[in-house]
Amino acid sequence: MNQDILDFLRNTEIFSGLADDLLQTVAMSATSRALAAGETLIRKGDVADSLFIIKQGWLKIVTEDSKGDELILNKCGAGEVIGEMALLDSGLRSASAIALEGANVLELSRAIFMDVLDKNPKVAFAIIASHSERLRHNTFYIEKAIDWSLKTADGDYSFVESTQPLSADARANGDKAAELLAAFFTMVRKVKEREDGLKKQLEQLTFEIDQARRKQDFEEITSTEFYANLKEQAKTLRQKRNQS
Amino acid sequence: MSKGKIVSIHSFRGGTGKSNTTANLAAQVALTGKRVGVVDTDIQSPGIHVLFGLDETKMGKTLNDFLHDKATIREVGFPVGENTGDAEGRAQLTGKNLWLFPSSIRGREISQILKEGIDFNRLNEGLQSTISEFDLDYLFIDTHPGLNEETLLSIATSDILIIILRPDNQDLQGTSVTIDIARSLDVPHLLLMVNKALPKYDFAVIKAGIEAQFNAPVAGVLPLSFDLADNASNDLFSLKYPEHDWSKALRGVAEAILAAQ
Repeated sequence: MNQDILDFLRNTEIFSGLADDLLQTVAMSATSRALAAGETLIRKGDVADSLFIIKQGWLKIVTEDSKGDELILNKCGAGEVIGEMALLDSGLRSASAIALEGANVLELSRAIFMDVLDKNPKVAFAIIASHSERLRHNTFYIEKAIDWSLKTADGDYSFVESTQPLSADARANGDKAAELLAAFFTMVRKVKEREDGLKKQLEQLTFEIDQARRKQDFEEITSTEFYANLKEQAKTLRQKRNQS
Repeated sequence: MSKGKIVSIHSFRGGTGKSNTTANLAAQVALTGKRVGVVDTDIQSPGIHVLFGLDETKMGKTLNDFLHDKATIREVGFPVGENTGDAEGRAQLTGKNLWLFPSSIRGREISQILKEGIDFNRLNEGLQSTISEFDLDYLFIDTHPGLNEETLLSIATSDILIIILRPDNQDLQGTSVTIDIARSLDVPHLLLMVNKALPKYDFAVIKAGIEAQFNAPVAGVLPLSFDLADNASNDLFSLKYPEHDWSKALRGVAEAILAAQ
């Protein structure tokens, strides 16, 4: 048994808190895989038959946008588990995972993972606890997003003033739910700015013309002999043009 | 008397993009097959002649020479359609009936010229003989900003007056006086054109607000464009970049000119 793998697993989110004997079972069942830069580990649409724990290096989780161009959903690094959700719900791979650089992963097959869960309810419990915490966490953000959506629809932007910008922290932690809320917050702030800009423009459009000055300027120009002649000549010209 | 129409382009203040607009409007109207003339009244400032590919070395006789009986109007007219050069936009005018009538009259010399007796009738006769000699459908006059006597003469003789303004209160104030003058002088067609509107604003709101304020049609709201500022100095922007928002709105103004009977 490689002590490095044991130490490594102990520090992963999914297996942390497990007793050493359980960790050893997992460590012995896992196979190590090296990935070259650009190599595809998981292909979207494939049947899921194992999960992966990243030991070293970075992978990108990608799908395609409507035009078929690559859309990066996330980047995962050492200690993160990928592909466990499709194992639990027996679904197909929802996205592809591609190595961004030379990387090492530990692969745990579905059969062995299920066997570990079966024999070691604590692992199952750890996974459930981890997912529950993630759900609780996400629910908080979803509720917040609903609250802000309703307020925005009503034109109530008071929360923008009383909320701390969240974006920087959220990005650093790689917390998707917090990132979504931060993006939502940024969107509302920009909508508010545009709305303020339009209001300002509307205010400008209640164009203030100084009517007294307008009259004075007009009279100054039209009171000259030059203008009187011009008006007369223009009148004659228009009559001539209309007749021709 | 000729049926050709005199179109004066005016703005209360400088910097509204008046010369550039005049050149592009004239070019768009010429593209439809109309016979078009452009009177450039200020050759000393970087102006309309550059847009039509005429520089000082090519410049022959001017309107001044014509008004002082030193040249015929034939000698003054610069045929743009025969001198388009290699500018991408202007090249589309090859073979079109478009003439530029340059003038060496400078703003501050106008009072002097007026004292010499360039009165309404003489200016009008000059413009009318220009129209008949070249059988023009439209003669565009790029007037001076403000309301000096020369500009008043141009307005008085116009069939169509286009006032260019930016969407701000200072331009609105000046435009209000020009509109009152145009109505006092019975100009048959008055069109407003808003230029340099910030793209973030709602142009429909600008159009409706100004039309309501003056009870006069806004023929187009054109955006402030850095593309235009970068490219406008030596070619006709609306011909070179026909799909640009500025060009599309400008063509709307050209259509309003063609629609005015």
